[in-house]
Amino acid sequence: MLNVQDVTKTYDGRAVVNRVSFAVEPGEIFALLGPNGAGKTTLIRMITDILKPDSGTITLDGRPVGGELKSLIAYLPEERGVYKRVKLVDAIAYFGELKGMSGRDARAAAVALLEAVDLSAHVDKQVMALSKGMQQKVQLCTALIGDPKLLILDEPFTGLDPINVQMFEDLLRARSATGTTIILSTHQMNKVEELCDRALMINRGHMVLYGSVPELRRRYGGHAVRVSGGGVPAGVPGVRAVESLNGGARLVLEESATPQGVLRALLERGVTVESYSPDEPPLEDVFVRVVKEGVGLDQGKSGPPTMEELHPLGAAR
Amino acid sequence: MNFHPGRAMTIARREYVTTVRRKAFLFSLLLTPAIFGLSTMMQVLGTQSAAKEALRVDSMAVVDSSGEFATAPRTLNYEVPALPGAKGGPAAPPEKRHTTIEFSPSVDSALAALRANRVQAVLVIPADYVGTGRLKRYKMKYNLISSADQRLTDRWLVGGLLHGRLDSLHAERAARPSHDVQVWTPDKSGVFELHDDKRDLLDIFVPLIFGMLLSIAIVTGGQYLLQGVSEEKESRILESLICTVSPSDLMVGKLVGLGGAGLTLVGAWLLMGSALAANAAVFMQFHPSILLLAFGLPFFLIGYLCYASLMCGIGAIASNLREAQQIALTFTMLNFVPMWAFWAIVAQPNAGTAVGLSMFPLTAPTAMMMRLAATNGGVPLWQVATSLAILATTAALAVFASSRIFRIGMLLYGKTPNLPEILRWVRQG
Repeated sequence: MLNVQDVTKTYDGRAVVNRVSFAVEPGEIFALLGPNGAGKTTLIRMITDILKPDSGTITLDGRPVGGELKSLIAYLPEERGVYKRVKLVDAIAYFGELKGMSGRDARAAAVALLEAVDLSAHVDKQVMALSKGMQQKVQLCTALIGDPKLLILDEPFTGLDPINVQMFEDLLRARSATGTTIILSTHQMNKVEELCDRALMINRGHMVLYGSVPELRRRYGGHAVRVSGGGVPAGVPGVRAVESLNGGARLVLEESATPQGVLRALLERGVTVESYSPDEPPLEDVFVRVVKEGVGLDQGKSGPPTMEELHPLGAAR
Repeated sequence: MNFHPGRAMTIARREYVTTVRRKAFLFSLLLTPAIFGLSTMMQVLGTQSAAKEALRVDSMAVVDSSGEFATAPRTLNYEVPALPGAKGGPAAPPEKRHTTIEFSPSVDSALAALRANRVQAVLVIPADYVGTGRLKRYKMKYNLISSADQRLTDRWLVGGLLHGRLDSLHAERAARPSHDVQVWTPDKSGVFELHDDKRDLLDIFVPLIFGMLLSIAIVTGGQYLLQGVSEEKESRILESLICTVSPSDLMVGKLVGLGGAGLTLVGAWLLMGSALAANAAVFMQFHPSILLLAFGLPFFLIGYLCYASLMCGIGAIASNLREAQQIALTFTMLNFVPMWAFWAIVAQPNAGTAVGLSMFPLTAPTAMMMRLAATNGGVPLWQVATSLAILATTAALAVFASSRIFRIGMLLYGKTPNLPEILRWVRQG
């Protein structure tokens, strides 16, 4: 398990990462979110032992990151490069050797990875002969070789076509299923919703959201449901307002009403209900709102909000 | 220091293999000595040919206002040495030539003859020549090499001045007081032996070659490092790498691997050079001193470590390769300063300039190699030891500072730090 505890990093007197704490379980796909300049890259660099925190601790399976643990952590930075004038298999195998694999094992693993990303026909080609998308697959392979326990990917889907995005997602799910811990830093919120169990959002170095993805969406959704099917008549008990949507409606509930009670009332009135779900805003809306409103940054206290103040669910996990 | 020798060696092996397999490396390996050899040969042959041509003065017009040369000889005989023949072949005999002297009544008529190529030179002797020694010479072309005929003119002047005052033999001797001089110098055991002029060539060129090779080896390895770090930073590979290995692993691996590539390059040139030199009799007379051989490798290794560490730091702070090369130019130039001071070092290898350059760390490897070669190991041992100690201390500081700069600089994109920032990195790590 990755455990980041009260980590702070300061540059020129400014806390770029300010008392950040979170934990990621083995096999979990965890989202690290935040606007540009929030401190995500600095946080990742501390997790990968490229930078040392000024205070706080970062451990993987109870041991401080760095040293021998380096070979268990792989990082695919957002601004990434790959050796261009070498064969694909050599470019990937080199990273395997750096992680302690023998030359032969590293080459075998590189070939297997190239097969997994549909590049087996190009094993002996030079990297520079490939398209940008193909090079991106090679970069992913350099991160995946050596079966890292912790895989950190910064904007891994940028520039990929939908087929390759799907392939990346499948690969990540497969790795997650075998126990690899994955931290995904991305601005593609739909991918977070599809892939990630939980998320941490930081803004100006402070933790501003932390918890399971559905819970975060629900938290910012208000007390409402979405219904599709037949028309919703006026005067349904527990419904304060009806907003028409394409093929359905958004029902704003009264404070005392429950979604189950309103559903029962709809069915009793003979409304055809094809789908009925809590109104959870897309994560993107949550992201925008949190950043624009400065949630978690100004609570009339000095210092950042505590874990408990942020999200009890996230803190309890 | 978080250092893992296994990872460093993996990096070193990869850097070495990738570099020596590059086409650019093979081109350097083969083309550099070829170009160097060809240009040297063309320069030597061109210079000899130009000097020989300058001595081709079939006729010279003289305008004598002093009246001192009325009875001077009307011809001047001389010999021009032949160009060197093929190895092992008999030396070609010198070419015999003579210059006809034509007296002209006026400068105008003499210059008209020069322009019409009826004469190749004009000598104007003013009325007060004996008192002042002033002369005017006219030629269609003149430069340092083509001035070789001045000696011929001097011989004719001496012959003319003495004509009728001395017998012809003494007049000839006065005009050319020495010919075929033998110089005897003591050998190592103090016994005087006939000095071989060809040996002078060795005394001049061996220090130059040793100094140059050492400089090239150091600079080549360092430049590979500069290029490698700069390109990896620019293409953002460094960040992926240092997630897996420590900056120390990376820096040491690169220093070893690319230093090896530089050494391979120079080693191959040395082998090629030795194979060629074995055919040249003059080089067979060269027996390098133990001191030169013993200190050659340490001076290379420590000199390389010092220079390459600096290149590593520069590669890490610069935003791109071009900027890195601009910053590195100063240090590269410093490495070649002993080349510019070549004559001072060879002429007086134990004098101030030579000693100073061999103590300054960035010029020490090249300058000390040149001194050791020029004196055939005759540099005081304490000076060699002091130079090596200063160089080693500087190299240790350079490695220390560069590793700190490297660690921070490689993550800094789009902005080149200023000197105070760099110094802060070094202080704080």
